[in-house]
Amino acid sequence: MTYPDPGDPEHPARPGVRPFLQSGQHRSSGGYRPSPREEAPPVDQQASALRPFVITSGRTDGADPDIGMETQVTINPSAVPIRLSPEMRAIVGLCGEPLSVAEISARLRLHLGVTRILVGDLRAAGQLDVHVLDNETPDPETIMRVIRGLRAIT
Amino acid sequence: MDFEQSPDRIVGTARVGSGQKKAPVPVKIIVAGGFGVGKTTTVGAISEISPLTTEAEMTSESVGIDDPGEATMKTTTTIAMDFGVLTIDQTLKLYIFGTPGQSRFAFMWDDLIKGALGALVVVDTSRIDDCYPAVDYFERAGLPFVVGVNTFNGQMSYSLDEVRWALAVRDEVPVLSYDARFRGSVRDALLVVLDQALDKAIRTKSS
Repeated sequence: MTYPDPGDPEHPARPGVRPFLQSGQHRSSGGYRPSPREEAPPVDQQASALRPFVITSGRTDGADPDIGMETQVTINPSAVPIRLSPEMRAIVGLCGEPLSVAEISARLRLHLGVTRILVGDLRAAGQLDVHVLDNETPDPETIMRVIRGLRAIT
Repeated sequence: MDFEQSPDRIVGTARVGSGQKKAPVPVKIIVAGGFGVGKTTTVGAISEISPLTTEAEMTSESVGIDDPGEATMKTTTTIAMDFGVLTIDQTLKLYIFGTPGQSRFAFMWDDLIKGALGALVVVDTSRIDDCYPAVDYFERAGLPFVVGVNTFNGQMSYSLDEVRWALAVRDEVPVLSYDARFRGSVRDALLVVLDQALDKAIRTKSS
């Protein structure tokens, strides 16, 4: 990899070409490839290096794949009262207004993975509504609305 | 951890009757790039809230020393994602997620690109190779992306053509310069991302 010489601003060396493009397929095998959605990670990569997820009873995976970082969460108005852990209670307490999983994680300083698992548990327990989108890929109309909204800001 | 002490255990039913608000549809754009290239500045410039931070999982593969390089003053880095929010209207919210662009963070990207509109790959011309893994990944994943050279140092070591040459991205991939400190500049860069996203959405719909 060639770095530009910072002491030579007049004639900087050209940056190197992206490595995987340089010499055919065999060089690209080391790169990270998008993995198919349904495929679980190899067992030896799972969990071993994760910090202990005490408040999820040790679970480090099993989060609902439907629950993304931006997925909106609200309290379920018809929830049956149950006893909740402090973390779960805090999550439920935040979701009077629709809130994303990432915002819950940030506001409570809860690890994102932990938040996803707890939100999934609360959904299963009927305490939270998780608003999973019907169509995952954004449609042109929605994108147009974002474009118009973005253009409107100054 | 700042958990509110609630007077009763039952919070889930406490607000029944206040009228359930319909949850907005969330859409997201990814801002990817190496450490210190201005991802958080970019997110902060466009977000209506101060960027929030969430920690994501680390795997043993991704443990490493964060090297911000000689060119930056940034001395502390965390494995964290900064993100911001922009409310488009009552029913639509745009999330902007900043993510490190090195390959050891790629484990986060599968989740992140799911449903994403597109990505802005932020490039610092003095450390251009920092963004190669992100460009590789978005290309392979078929996610619309735009290469944005952040000019917050006030200068660029290379022309946009040279950056395009180095990245060897397809002709359709826009390579532009912007200034992460200015909202208008970030907005314009994101509009180019959205333009790419719209192209892809229309192609997908008609095919």
